[in-house]
Formats: sequence, C-alpha cells, structure tokens
Amino acid sequence: MLNSSLKALALAALAVFPFAISSPYYLHLLVVIMIYSVVTLGLDVVFGYTGEVSVGHAALFGIGAYTAGVLADSLGINFWWALPAGVIVAAGFGALLALPALRVTGPYLAMVTLAFGTIVQILINEMTFLTEGPLGIALKRPLVFDWRPFADVLPFLKMPAKKMADVQFYYIVVIALVLTLLVVSRLLASRFGRAFEALRDSPIACDCMGVSVYKHKVLAFVISAGFAGLGGVLFAYSELYIAPNNFGFDLSITFLLAVTMGGRKSRAGPIIGAAVVVFLPNLLADIQLFRIAAGIVAAVAVAGGAVHMFRKPEERGRIAIPVALCVAFFVFALYLERITDYKLTIFGLMILFVVYYLPDGIYGFVRQILPSQRLKHGIAGNEAAAWASAAPATGGEALLEVQQIVMQFGGLKALDRVDLSIRAGTVHGLIGPNGSGKSTMMNVLTGIYTPTAGSVVFLGSPVGGHTPSDIAGRGIARTFQNVQLFAELTLLENVMVGLHHTYKGGMAGAALCSPRERREELAARTRAAGLLRFVGLDGAAHEEARNLPYGKQRLLEIARALALDPKLLLLDEPAAGLTAPDIQDLMRIIRKIRDHGITMVLIEHHMDVVMSVCDTVSVLDFGQKIAEGTPGEVQRDEKVLSAYLGGSHATVAA
Amino acid sequence: MQILAQLIVSGIAVGMIYGVIAFGYQLTFATSKTLNFGQGEALMLGSLVGWSLVAYTGYLIMLPVVLAFGLLQGAVVERLGVRQAIKTKSEAGWIMATIALGIIFRNLAENIWGRDALKFPSPLPEAPLSFMGVNVLPMELVIVVGALAMMLAVEVFNRRSIYGRAFVATAGDRDAAGLVGVNTSLVITFSYAMSSMAAAFAGVLIAPVTLTGASMGGVLGLKGFAVAIIGGLSSGFGVVVGGLILGITENLTGFYLSTGYKDVPGLLLLLLVLSLKPSGLFGKAAIKKV
Repeated sequence: MLNSSLKALALAALAVFPFAISSPYYLHLLVVIMIYSVVTLGLDVVFGYTGEVSVGHAALFGIGAYTAGVLADSLGINFWWALPAGVIVAAGFGALLALPALRVTGPYLAMVTLAFGTIVQILINEMTFLTEGPLGIALKRPLVFDWRPFADVLPFLKMPAKKMADVQFYYIVVIALVLTLLVVSRLLASRFGRAFEALRDSPIACDCMGVSVYKHKVLAFVISAGFAGLGGVLFAYSELYIAPNNFGFDLSITFLLAVTMGGRKSRAGPIIGAAVVVFLPNLLADIQLFRIAAGIVAAVAVAGGAVHMFRKPEERGRIAIPVALCVAFFVFALYLERITDYKLTIFGLMILFVVYYLPDGIYGFVRQILPSQRLKHGIAGNEAAAWASAAPATGGEALLEVQQIVMQFGGLKALDRVDLSIRAGTVHGLIGPNGSGKSTMMNVLTGIYTPTAGSVVFLGSPVGGHTPSDIAGRGIARTFQNVQLFAELTLLENVMVGLHHTYKGGMAGAALCSPRERREELAARTRAAGLLRFVGLDGAAHEEARNLPYGKQRLLEIARALALDPKLLLLDEPAAGLTAPDIQDLMRIIRKIRDHGITMVLIEHHMDVVMSVCDTVSVLDFGQKIAEGTPGEVQRDEKVLSAYLGGSHATVAA
Repeated sequence: MQILAQLIVSGIAVGMIYGVIAFGYQLTFATSKTLNFGQGEALMLGSLVGWSLVAYTGYLIMLPVVLAFGLLQGAVVERLGVRQAIKTKSEAGWIMATIALGIIFRNLAENIWGRDALKFPSPLPEAPLSFMGVNVLPMELVIVVGALAMMLAVEVFNRRSIYGRAFVATAGDRDAAGLVGVNTSLVITFSYAMSSMAAAFAGVLIAPVTLTGASMGGVLGLKGFAVAIIGGLSSGFGVVVGGLILGITENLTGFYLSTGYKDVPGLLLLLLVLSLKPSGLFGKAAIKKV
C-alpha cells in the first residue's frame, strides 16, 4: 500500500521534473543517474543474485555506446535502431565471455571480464576505421516530435529547440528506466530469479533439481550485459560525444561500488547507489564540499554507533572500529590540501569501507531498521494438488540397470564392479557400513560423478555423459545426506525451484508477465503448497528454509525432490538426525510416495526403517556388493553380519 | 627466420615475468581459493622501492630489502582485504577489497614517485649479446634464470621445510589442516606474503628492461591472470609454459599484425583454453564433494 503510493509519487516527480527545474545541469545529472541505474539494475542480476563478479561492465556499457556511435557515424542509422542493436551486440559479447568463463566455479568470470575490459578499450583505440580511435565519435540528439506549435495552448511547452530535445531525451531515459525496473523485477520474481538465488545457495542441489547452474549463470550474465548495452546507447546520446577512455576499468569498479553501496538484491539499492556514484566526482572535486560530506558521515556514524552501543553494549568493540574510521577519515579530509591527487585513494577507501561495514548497502541498512513486511504465516495446501497425473507402477520391470560400475578416485576404488537392478514400483534399500560406497553410488546415478567404467541405463537409455540437470530432467530426483537446501529461499520457493520443469513459457513471457506465465506460476504455487502439505510443512510455507529445524529440513528436501515428478527418487539417509516420531512420519511418507507409483532407492542406517519399507535390499562393503535379497534374507546373510559386526554371530536387528 | 627466432627469444623473457606473476596467484589460490586482484600493483611497488634504493645501496642490498618489502605488502593485503571475506565466505568481498587496495597502492605510488615512467639502471651491460644473429640482452638471461630460481626456491621450501608442509597441507584441505594444529589463517597470510614477494622480485627483474612507474602494474597483473588460467591455477609447471606461450604469441602478434593489438591474443587464448579445457592446459579438474 505504502509501497505503491511511494512509487506513484516518485514517478510523478520524475514526470514534472524538467518543467519544475530549469537548470540543464541538473536535468543532465538526473539523466546520467538514470542511465547508470539501468546498468546497475542489470549488474545486480549477476552480482547480487548469482554472486558472480563482473569487472567488465564498463566495457559492455562502452560496446553499447559504440554500437550507437558507429551506426550513426558510418551508416547514418538513428537512435531508435541503435537501441535494440546496442542491447543485442552487448548481450552477444556477454555470451562470448560467459559461455567459457562460467564453465568452472571460482573467480574466473571476474578475471575474464577484467581482461575483457582492458582489451575492449585497446580495440576501440586501435580500430580507427570503425571507431575513430582516441578522437571519439560525436552524435546528434534525436527529436521525437516538435511540440512548439502547441506552446500557445500549453505555455509550459514553450522552450528553445535544444532544450526541447533535452527534455524529450530525458523522458526517453525515464521510460527506459521504468521498463528496466519492470523487466528486472518480473524476471527476478519469476522462476528465473528463484533459480539465480538457488544456484548461489546450493549449486549442486540446483543442478539435481533439473535447473542447470551453468545455463542460468550464463543467462543472468547475458541479461545483465544486455542492460549494460542499453545503458550504453542511452549514454552515447546523452553525452553526444564518446571516447575510449569513458569506459575504463574505474567505471566498472564504480558500477560494482554502486550496487554494493546501494544494496544488493533489491530494486531501490542499485538506483540509490547510481545516484551516489554520479555525485561522487562532484564531491571529490571540491575540497570544501568533501570536508562537509566527510563531517556528515562522521557525525552520522558517531550518532548511529552510540545508539547501537546503547542497544547492544556487548558489540562495543565491533562497532567502535567503523565509527573510529569515519572520524579518522574526517580528520584526514581536514588535513588534505589537494584532493585531486588522492581522489583514487578516497575511492578505494570507500570501497573497502562498504565491503566491510556496509555489505548489505544503504538500502539493506534502512531495511534492517524498518520493520519487516515479509509474510510469515502459513498457507492452506491441498494434498490432492501435490501430484501430477499419477503414473501407476509398472511393476516388476527394471527401471534402472547399473552394470559393472567402477568409480576410482586416485588409488581408491569407491565402487568396484557393482551391479544393481532397480525394479519399477519398489523401494530398494542400499545399506552398508560407513565408507562402503553408498553415497558415491548416488552421485554416479545423478551424474555428479562420471564413473571410471560400467554403464547406468535408466528407462532403456544410457545415462552416461549427461549432466546432472539433464538426468534430473529425465526423472531421477534425490535428497542429500548433508542437507542441501536453498537456505535464503522460503519453503514454498524451495519446492517451486523443483517445479521449474513445469513451466513451458519462455523468458520473454516471464519478463512481460504474460497470462500463460501467470497461469503457470499459479499452478506451480498450488502444487508446491500441496507438496508442503504432504510432508506436513504447509504451516511454515513462507519461512526461510534456513530457519527450519534439521529434521524438518530433510522433509522439505523430499517435497522438493517430489516436485520434479521423478520416476526414481533417491533418498540419502532421510532418517539421519530425526526424532522417533519424525521417523514414523517419514515411513508413512515413503509408503505414500510408493503408492503414487514412484520407485525409490533408500540409503539408510536405521535398520528398522530399511527392514519395514524396503522390498529389496543390496548391501555394499568396501565398494563391492556383498549381498542382495529381501530384507529377511539379507538380515540372515553371513557376509552382511561380518561386515557390520566384524564376524560375530549376533543378528542385525533394530 | 632470424626475425622469428629473435621474436621468440625476446618473448621468452617477458613470458617468464608473466609466469612469476601467475605463480603468485597460484600460491594464494592454493591455500585460500582467493587471489590478489592487485598483484600488478605489488609488482609495481617492488620495482619502485627497488628504484629508490638502488642508487644508495647497490643491487646486493636492494634485493633482500625489496623481497622483505614484498612479504610485508602481501601480508597487509591479506589482513586488510582477504581475511574478513574468507570468514564470511564472500567471493565478491575479497575481489572488491583487493581491487580497492590495488587502486589505493597505485594512487599512493603516483603521489610518491610521480606519474611518469622512470629509467631503472641496469646492473649488467645494456649492449646485446649476439648468438647466431639473434640478439639477447644480458638482463633477459638474468630474468629467465632469476624467475626459474624464484619458483624453484619456493617449491623447495614448500616440500622440504615444516612451514612449507603446513602450506601444502592447507592447500590440500584447509579444515583438516586446521584440525591437526596448523594455523591455517597464518598460512594464508604467509601465502599472500610469498605471492607479493614473488611479484616484487619480478618487478625488480623486469624494470631494467622496460621502464618502471606507477602505472606499470595493471597490464602485467592481467597478463598474469591469462597465464594462470592458460596454464592452470593448480600447476606450477603450467605457469612457465603458459607464460612462454603468451610472451611469444604477443611478440609475434606485435610484429606481424600491429603493436597496438599486442595485448589481444592474451584474452583470446584465455577464452579458448576455458572453452576447451577449463582447468587449464596442465591443471587437474577438482573432484566435487557432496
């Protein structure tokens, strides 16, 4: 309520601004802030949500600007065609960087984009036949339509031709920013946004939910590059002159600083940050202004620190350091004579300060103080909605055939020529002492490990060589021995990541919020609620997953895995850490899952669970299968007894 | 043919410098999975400190002082830029903090030593030696020998001394090393110190051949990235080969295409290697643990 009226107010202020303020300086400043906001909002998708760092956004921004410049300069193509062209060219370069750089986890994207930023500047300088090199390119501002004839009726429209073009361009930028906000917000609220957050919390679980981490990271970067390109085109037509040194390394860092300082993972944060960094050069150009600003920061820090210390005296030491730093910075500002020499040092210090003491940014800080508006109540899930068209168990045939699997790590054979045959519609137990290779088997079946030798055939076709997300898409879901939830997503959202595959609409639909997208989102929400109901967690649907007690987290993992509509469900020690009543619930849930025609492989140490729900049990020891049969047969097997109990004749019983 | 040989020979010396920088990245990446985005600035500072000292002290005293300075500078970078980020497991944190420190170091250097390039006096005669028509500067030979000696010394230290074993243990498994009593955060600080020391040493080595100055670091740091990725972030042998590949390719591009495009093959090679063999030409793919 408050939120939407605030938005309307901001929009109205933007609409009347050019007529209320006559200074072209402020109009231009606001245009630059909005253009930077387009870039930082896009950067936030990569940097805030997926957690990858791009140190090359200035280069992508520059590519957008130079696309506009070159099109106008060499081909005489105007602003309107430059807009899509700039977005597409920048996104293309984004794909070129992201496709190789994101194949491996680590700081590779940051390294590659940093190199890219330098190379782009060199190339713009060198390719004089296209870019005019260091001379730069001049452009002419587009005029949408001449409104001067209407000035008699509407006197506020009366202005010189140059100002009219400026004002019209201002409105173009406003529209671009509003569209950017809409598209980014919708994308991030859709399944894509959930995937971006999920892959950061647990990449491995994300892949095993059929949501390819690699694909979505590349997607996030390409989207982000597209917005940088859009910003670039607007920038070229805002400055009317572009040169290679407009798009250097410092600007890339400035964008990162803007997102961090404003507040990651929000819409307001990147805009606040953009405004701050646009004002920054002005601040650093004037020593008096700089001293005043440093003084204000120091005063706020002292006041805020005092309040905080009063509230939480035990955190005295932790708060004192940043406050002291702010005061020291103010003293430094008073001593400083020639500010231009130390401009970059101040810039660097600001980055350090933000990284350490304002990691959630200005907006995050404000949000912390204001009461949270997040829904915490549960929802009414309907268990009947939980299941897709239930496929009855086909009974008897082998759903999964594992033949002669060998998994070798260096000199260690974690699995040694193991055969397994999982019949459809059954619960197949996999037991064995710790270190016998059970979890390795899970990882082989889900494609996380590529086996050294042997084959895995699922539904008649080999699994080998496919990625975990492909395999998940074909119907193998799993839970994890060490719980792998998307900690910062709510329970409902966790399950909805598993429902990613139920959406058929594309990204454009999600960005535009098409009717189909809304329908699919609603269907997914209803099903997710049903699945939560099924495992008994619908009461906490809007709670963040990390707040759940351990036992409940395991149940949530099962709900999430079921969302995949799996044909085969792999449960890796689901009862570990559960209380006795929880274990009873778990057994009831496992039986119910089987009744819905889903085949299961169950790794478990609780023998009572294994013995009461499994149809067949295989026993592993030191990577080899030592026994297989009904629970009863296995329980009496000599080899099993000696594996578990070291050769004694006691029975394996609960 | 002679030109080609000449280009290759002078590419080798530059390539070895790239290799030493990349070696520095490897040292810190091994212990902490982080690296110093201001490594080029560590090289620049080492070089400039050496420049200031050499007129008074001569080369023999200047060298150990520069190495000690490098150790200290690396430790400062780790304490200020990396430690906190490792604790909070924030990748963005250490990347941005080390970049910020790099910016600060460069700006301070500009204020201390000025913005212009400075001539670093060469300890050896500057007349090239000629082997079968191919010219080699005596300093280039020193670079190759010095760079290899530096990397060898660190390797021997890691394999033979108890401190080195703590380093290797931390690189293998930080948690396990911590459990058996290795002070892993000290080891990480130490790896940063060694990394910056290697860079400072490289700075002193290359300065007589090129020029020195506050802005010399940025591009060299980047080349180090390219080499570290091409050779593999986990292979000591890889950075030597990667450095040679890059140094020679750049020289050939500069001569046959245009000096302006000299820096381009680095990025292209980088992208190519990442597409074909993401763990680097000589790197081993890591095993995921679930």
